[in-house]
Amino acid sequence: MDDPQTTVLIRRAQDGNASAFGELVDSHYDTIYRFAWKWCRHRANAEDIAQQACIKLAASLAQFRFEAAFTSWLYRLVVSCAQDWQRSQQRHLHAELSGDELQPDDSRTEDAIYIGQLLEQLESLGEGMKETALLVHAEGLSHAEAGAILGVSESTISWRVHTMRKQLQRREPLASIHA
Amino acid sequence: MNTHSFEHELKQLAAPPPDPAARERARRAALEEFQRRPGTVHQLHSPRRWRPLGPWSSGLAAASIAAVGVAVYWLLPPEERVLAIGEPATSPSVPTYTELKHDEPEPPQSSTARAERSAITTAPPPPKMELPAVETPPPVMDIMIPQESLPASAISNATDRTRPAVAPAPPPPPLQASTRALEEVQVTGSRRVSREFDSPMAVTTIIADTLESENRDKFQHFDVNPVKRAAEEPVSTFSADVDTASYSYVRRQLDDGVLPPADAVRVEEMVNYFDYAWPAPASRSAPFQPTITVSDSPWGTGKKLVHIGIRGFDLPAARRPDVNLVLLLDVSGSMNSPDKLPLAQRSMALLLDSLKPTDTVAIVVYAGAAGQVLAPTPVREKQAILDALGSLRPGGSTAGAAGIQLAYELAGRSFRKDGVNRILLATDGDFNVGITDREALKSLVERERDKGVFLSVLGFGQGNYRDEMAQTLAQNGNGVAAYIDTLNEARKVLVEQASAALFTIAKDVKLQVEFNPATVAEYRLVGYESRGLNREDFNNDQVDAGDIGAGHVVTAIYEITPAGSSAQLIDERRYATGTDAPPRGRVAPGEYGYLRIRYKLPDSTRSRLIESPIRTRASVPAALRQDVQFSTAVAGFAQLLRGGRYTGGLSFEDVLREAQASRGEDPYGYRAEFVQLVRRAMQARGIQ
Repeated sequence: MDDPQTTVLIRRAQDGNASAFGELVDSHYDTIYRFAWKWCRHRANAEDIAQQACIKLAASLAQFRFEAAFTSWLYRLVVSCAQDWQRSQQRHLHAELSGDELQPDDSRTEDAIYIGQLLEQLESLGEGMKETALLVHAEGLSHAEAGAILGVSESTISWRVHTMRKQLQRREPLASIHA
Repeated sequence: MNTHSFEHELKQLAAPPPDPAARERARRAALEEFQRRPGTVHQLHSPRRWRPLGPWSSGLAAASIAAVGVAVYWLLPPEERVLAIGEPATSPSVPTYTELKHDEPEPPQSSTARAERSAITTAPPPPKMELPAVETPPPVMDIMIPQESLPASAISNATDRTRPAVAPAPPPPPLQASTRALEEVQVTGSRRVSREFDSPMAVTTIIADTLESENRDKFQHFDVNPVKRAAEEPVSTFSADVDTASYSYVRRQLDDGVLPPADAVRVEEMVNYFDYAWPAPASRSAPFQPTITVSDSPWGTGKKLVHIGIRGFDLPAARRPDVNLVLLLDVSGSMNSPDKLPLAQRSMALLLDSLKPTDTVAIVVYAGAAGQVLAPTPVREKQAILDALGSLRPGGSTAGAAGIQLAYELAGRSFRKDGVNRILLATDGDFNVGITDREALKSLVERERDKGVFLSVLGFGQGNYRDEMAQTLAQNGNGVAAYIDTLNEARKVLVEQASAALFTIAKDVKLQVEFNPATVAEYRLVGYESRGLNREDFNNDQVDAGDIGAGHVVTAIYEITPAGSSAQLIDERRYATGTDAPPRGRVAPGEYGYLRIRYKLPDSTRSRLIESPIRTRASVPAALRQDVQFSTAVAGFAQLLRGGRYTGGLSFEDVLREAQASRGEDPYGYRAEFVQLVRRAMQARGIQ
């Protein structure tokens, strides 16, 4: 569960204390931003996602009832903001093809190309795959935690992790194309 | 690429440190939002000025308004809260639910906020049972201790306590004194299972368990049915499904202001929640006939929707067979919530009204151990049944398996050869103690089904609900799985649809559609993901499928792309060979496909076949127009809740418009309620 300090902050914020809420944002912004960045690998977009998540946090903190760890709850919120962002990007793309906006800012390096392709591939494997991969592998969460965040059972997460491994094994090594 | 590297690469993925200026911007924006909250009751009605952040933030505006409502709710003095939240609400169930929600037990170590909340929880009186209070023990009470499910120490302990358990039940503890209620687990049909239970620590654990339970609802994950090419895979096979549990669960989530998890949304169960005017067959010899309509798809230009509607033959009341019913109630500690055991008790009491005086009802409970509360009793002795129902109190852990065994034993003892023998299981889905092996439980249910005892599952409560288990058991037991969240829902399932829930008119109903590649380029079955069958299963009578009760209405929708339409998603194959071409023989330009339905009469093991072509000109008759439109709106809504992969530009607003335009007569107000649900989803979008 959460450390007592966070718990106190949350309760005070829920009681309407703005400085406690500010402190809460401060202490979790890093987590929020880093996950957002991993999602889109683009600084400005990650900042947008993170800001949206913070606003959403303000709007829905009253609903947090200490039934799950705060960080799990927060992750859930950030994931949903990231998904919203992605959907909007896709709509955007269909409407008018915007070039630079979507390009990850580290797109020059070979590693980045590889990661970009990898995440795209994961996405094409099905619903929730990218989310699962990022939470489990990039964030190092347990299957149970990832399940709680994504609202699916632990076994679904395990199944997804297994599927990803199996599917990616079958594919051509992508990085070498660009090497 | 090897697997090590893909996982490793992700692990190495390091975000650059955040920009302090961006952090400050986010903090300010969040604080601004935060400080908007107090004193904004009126804003529930008027949309606020919203500073857009980008093209994708507009959806959040509605979400924040809903959140403001919640925030304001907590800022008001307790006596005004229900009023404040009730004002914008158009469904009467909302304030009730809010009260129920906070009746949940709180842990003893409470901080200020917690204390404030529990103060309110005591304000609304717990819903009272409408049944008379009972001071005497229930009429009959045999106790069966499932030896294999208890530790050795517990067995001796439990045996010692068998006497006290049969003694007059203690006066029911008030619901809000939840701690006490949990300490006094020794109640009808259950008793302290082990010594650990006496220690305060164990009690705390259980309370914590109840609290933690919010996120533990379990749903089987499934992926949305994909678009298929008629030329490559022309045959689509699935099992009928009359369950509606998903709709009630989704409603409950939305009433709570959150969007349901995608896996909880089963499109076919949402669609099948409603009654449509598909014509019924005239005689029982053919238990149903299919109605097929073709209409334009509202979410895909150039696409069409094929509705396949089935209405089961309804039995006149006089001709209903005798019923031998065993109510199996979960009385474990986790049922200690007003929307669980008390609601189950009231629901069961309602059910008695739809039975004949000569039908029999028995009651079995399970918790730490399983016990018979009431031997098979004719419904004409209604008071005895009500008394037994009213005496049940929650407590103890769950041993679902032992309870099921005992229920089957009782059903077998009072078996009616020409009647309906059914177990009605009411639970929040916890089968953790006892036989936890799902397969073992499943095969027990299957064996009993073959002997003629069917099983239906009624799900209650939230937080612990194991949908997957309920589905599995009901599917294998030739029964329905329904989720009961309000007394109104209980009335719908147990009174209005009692004959459907109790009397099976056709077993193993399978549907198969063969699409005509000459007229159909692509097709997609909307929903029924968990009901898919292999093509070869269709003619195999050994393969189990869904059952249809008297008067049941089942609807399936295919979305098709007619050949030559620009809406086609999948490209033609470059290297297609002659085998992809339409089959030799029939081209049938006037048919989109051919529907086959296989079913068995309840007492038969051999299936029968119903066939019908799907004609390209099967337009919608005027009498069915509203029903086709409404079911399409529900299907669209459900798909949106699942993420809307194939729904194009369809929005909640479109759904709302379509649903409002097709409400029709709506005698019970179900469709009006759906319209409210869509509004709630618009508010909840983004909050989660």
